[in-house]
Amino acid sequence: MKRTGILFFPAFDWSLGDFHPEREERLLYTQEQLFEEGVLDLPQIKQFSPCVASIHQVLRAQALLPNPRVHADTLDAHLIAAGSAILLGEARVRGDIANGFVLARPPGHHSGGTVWGNRGFCTINNEAVLVNHLRARLGVKKIAIIDTDVHHGDGTQDIFYHDPNVLFISLHQDGRTLYPGTGFVNEKGGPNAWEQTLNIPLPPGTGDEGYHYVLENWVLPRLQAFAPDLIINSAGQDNHFTDPLASMNLTAGGYGRITELLQPDLAVLEGGYSIEGALPYVNLAILLALAGEDYHHVREPQKLDRPVLSLATIKPYIEALKKQHQTIKPSFTIRKKAFFPTGNWIYSPHSVYYDTEGFQENRHDYVRQCNHCAGTVYIESDRSPHKSILVRIPFQACPECEQAGYDLWDHLLHHSDDCISGLLQNQLQDKFSVWHRKEGLTLF
Amino acid sequence: MPNRVGIDVGGTYTDAVFIHNGRIERTAKVPTRSVDLVETILNAFDTLKIPDEQVINQITVSTTLVTNGILQDQLPSVELLLFSGHGMSLDALPWPVNYRELSGEMDFRGREIEPPDQREWEKLKSDLREGPTHVAIVGKFSHRNGLHEEQLASYLRQLNPSLNIALGHEWGQANFYRRSLTTYLSIGVSDLYHQFVQQLQTAVTARKIKAPISILKADGGILPLAKLRPIDSIYSGPAASVLAALTQLETTASCIVVDIGGTTTDIGLILSGVPLLSSKGAQIGPFSTLVRTLAVRSIPVGGDSVIRATDQGFILENYRLGPAYCLGGNIPTPTDAMRYLGLIDYGNEQLAEEGLASILPEERRTQTFLYELATAIIERMVEKIAEAVDSLKREWQEEPAYKVWEVLHPHVNQAFQTLVSGGGARGMTTALGKRLGTPVQLGAFSEVSNALGAAMARSTLDCTLHLDTYMKQYRVEETGEQGKWTGSLRPYLEVEGFMDTLVQKQAARYGIMIQDLEKEPFDFFPIVQGSRTVGQIVRGAVHLRAGVIGRVHV
Repeated sequence: MKRTGILFFPAFDWSLGDFHPEREERLLYTQEQLFEEGVLDLPQIKQFSPCVASIHQVLRAQALLPNPRVHADTLDAHLIAAGSAILLGEARVRGDIANGFVLARPPGHHSGGTVWGNRGFCTINNEAVLVNHLRARLGVKKIAIIDTDVHHGDGTQDIFYHDPNVLFISLHQDGRTLYPGTGFVNEKGGPNAWEQTLNIPLPPGTGDEGYHYVLENWVLPRLQAFAPDLIINSAGQDNHFTDPLASMNLTAGGYGRITELLQPDLAVLEGGYSIEGALPYVNLAILLALAGEDYHHVREPQKLDRPVLSLATIKPYIEALKKQHQTIKPSFTIRKKAFFPTGNWIYSPHSVYYDTEGFQENRHDYVRQCNHCAGTVYIESDRSPHKSILVRIPFQACPECEQAGYDLWDHLLHHSDDCISGLLQNQLQDKFSVWHRKEGLTLF
Repeated sequence: MPNRVGIDVGGTYTDAVFIHNGRIERTAKVPTRSVDLVETILNAFDTLKIPDEQVINQITVSTTLVTNGILQDQLPSVELLLFSGHGMSLDALPWPVNYRELSGEMDFRGREIEPPDQREWEKLKSDLREGPTHVAIVGKFSHRNGLHEEQLASYLRQLNPSLNIALGHEWGQANFYRRSLTTYLSIGVSDLYHQFVQQLQTAVTARKIKAPISILKADGGILPLAKLRPIDSIYSGPAASVLAALTQLETTASCIVVDIGGTTTDIGLILSGVPLLSSKGAQIGPFSTLVRTLAVRSIPVGGDSVIRATDQGFILENYRLGPAYCLGGNIPTPTDAMRYLGLIDYGNEQLAEEGLASILPEERRTQTFLYELATAIIERMVEKIAEAVDSLKREWQEEPAYKVWEVLHPHVNQAFQTLVSGGGARGMTTALGKRLGTPVQLGAFSEVSNALGAAMARSTLDCTLHLDTYMKQYRVEETGEQGKWTGSLRPYLEVEGFMDTLVQKQAARYGIMIQDLEKEPFDFFPIVQGSRTVGQIVRGAVHLRAGVIGRVHV
């Protein structure tokens, strides 16, 4: 029998604010629906209880800046969501379950490689922490993340942008019409991971038909070509036609079909804020589809009575988008700082806005071009008045890139005049050192 | 209440104890004659020889009658009518009984999505017009709004006033599937139960005993005969043995309770003086129910389990074929191993050796090999028990958590002791203690421990409130009560007072003495529309956990 794991963690005692969409009530009706349907009595469903991720596990994917201690008071719920993803992921890789659904709050896909606070309701990237844990501890090599949240999964994209062993695909409402305003077809990955990021921005009004068309004709072929060991679905539910924050037209049944098409090893809840009209039904449909049960009788009470973009409209749009995607060729800026080790360093600046608390982070990213590995990454992150550094030695780093990472770290420790802190994210050795001007070195 | 009688009406034997001021004065064990329960109970009283039966203050009975009635398929046919609505297909879950689906749907807050279709009801007429019939009506989300169930019930009653109807929303917990089967069983066992009650009362009245009679439930609590929902009486046996252990332990002890019978061993867990409840309802045969039950494991291994020789050694089978070899049976059993090793003093020593020898090839029938074999048999049995103990502990430690606070404050492992009772208990203490790594205590009066547990049991009470101030309605899970909320939209202290009133009401209705109440903190869910709080959903619960009225002096 195909066993499906569920880890239901609704965080009933946690919210981002009294009226915030990410509040206690969010999964309350989902609980009512799932429990009333008796899904936990299905013989193939196994319920797991949540656990807490460690800072070590988080630092494997993300730099908590200026240092982890600053975040200590606000991380509990986020660490449980990430820990829960790890727990179910481990169960999947060990073969205890055939697939699983991490139905946990809070979400994570807007949280990137450097974290100064909460943005887009996210502080810790649950999928990224999970993915790097499975690579470090369970020997999983190639992982695909398909983000079906209505918002671009910019945080996940940021974390894996230079990583050739992680394929990241995000389908979302066009960034010109919705937060976070990114996720266009020209974002295709860094120099060492070109084409390992695929963004498919969809026009507002897209419904089940259009969405499934894109999956069948673009996403699945790409997925097949990559042949991952594991598929993770960032299962946001805000494409639903009742969602208050977005303008798409998917139904609960449509989500069931997405799950059926993607056949993810793990689905991880992301956003979705129509807590009465959509979530109870969408979550049920996803869980049933994972468990191999019929989800066609799941129906939201509200009728879809607004215009849906027809397949005839979507098809040419997608074909044009594909063409545009194909025409985009790599074009990178080579730039390095005086103290950088040898090699070609590709530079890209960008800024990140933290909407929850209202501040800006300015980033200067450098990656060492490499034909052998994902390349060492050096990131300067400015959150006025502070500046912090992230040095990443990637999984399976080649000796040159590994050495480059140590040299950069040494330089920071000895010439850190304008920096307050830094993280040596040594994925290769699974060691994470945090240096802070006042607190010195801490090993995680 | 100084004078208490506990009676355990089992399938084979009926046990009874008489307790005076916490001292076990008399015990009795008589065969159960299922055709004549009155006679059986009178026989039990005769054997107890209570000097003056008028002084009895309380009689508590536990019985497997309803359990066996279900397992042996003795229930009358019940018409199960479901307002199943949309969602998961019904046939995704195994239904041990037939049902009919009707249209009509509610949502999770008790709002009507689709009204019932009267034309469908017309079609029921021909089947339900005749004779007294049992009908169970259950709607999805009826625990949030029982309207459709009520409507159909009153329609059917007009049609045939003699219909015996049970409504699902009286079982106020979520889970449509379990609620349906629970409602089905509840109405299905009602005749059987009432017959039992009548026989019980006839017997007690014949002895001119005035004491009130209570029944033991699967959750370890007792309720007066007339107040009990019949299905709640299932599985009181394992609950009784856990309670019997409580009467012999320090009040805050944590304990593994092992009751070793002839064919099965029951295992329960006591945590700081409170028996562990199962997070799911009881499973009885093919029926998944909402019946609240203690977490117990029953494993098919006991003192009379069959031991069969194999090429590799032996197998401990999960069935019994009569008594042990040393007690005149034909097949070697763990009891023979215990006898051979001198761990017990009943049974014929010579026969025990003979029985064990039959497992070994002829050339190895020496004392050394016999000793090795006997030890291995005990160890095999202990291993099976230990596995069940571990699984029970895991159930406790891996309880799902839905709040941050719960995850950050997990159950800490406690210092357990083990209490063993039952026929094979004495022979197992040393080996069990070694494997479980706990001190082991032998239970007193283990041949009548269920009757002892019943006699000393007290009431339990659970009151779980679900209040939706925006919908202006409240629900009580345990009683199925559905009422109107007239208080404020954002109640705080008000809801505590309301809860107290509900508990008082429930206690009065069931004749329960309120003591040692455990209050779960309320959960408040602000209901937001737009960016405005328009109401709250409040959830909270109060419990009077299973326990005993005192310790017994051995």
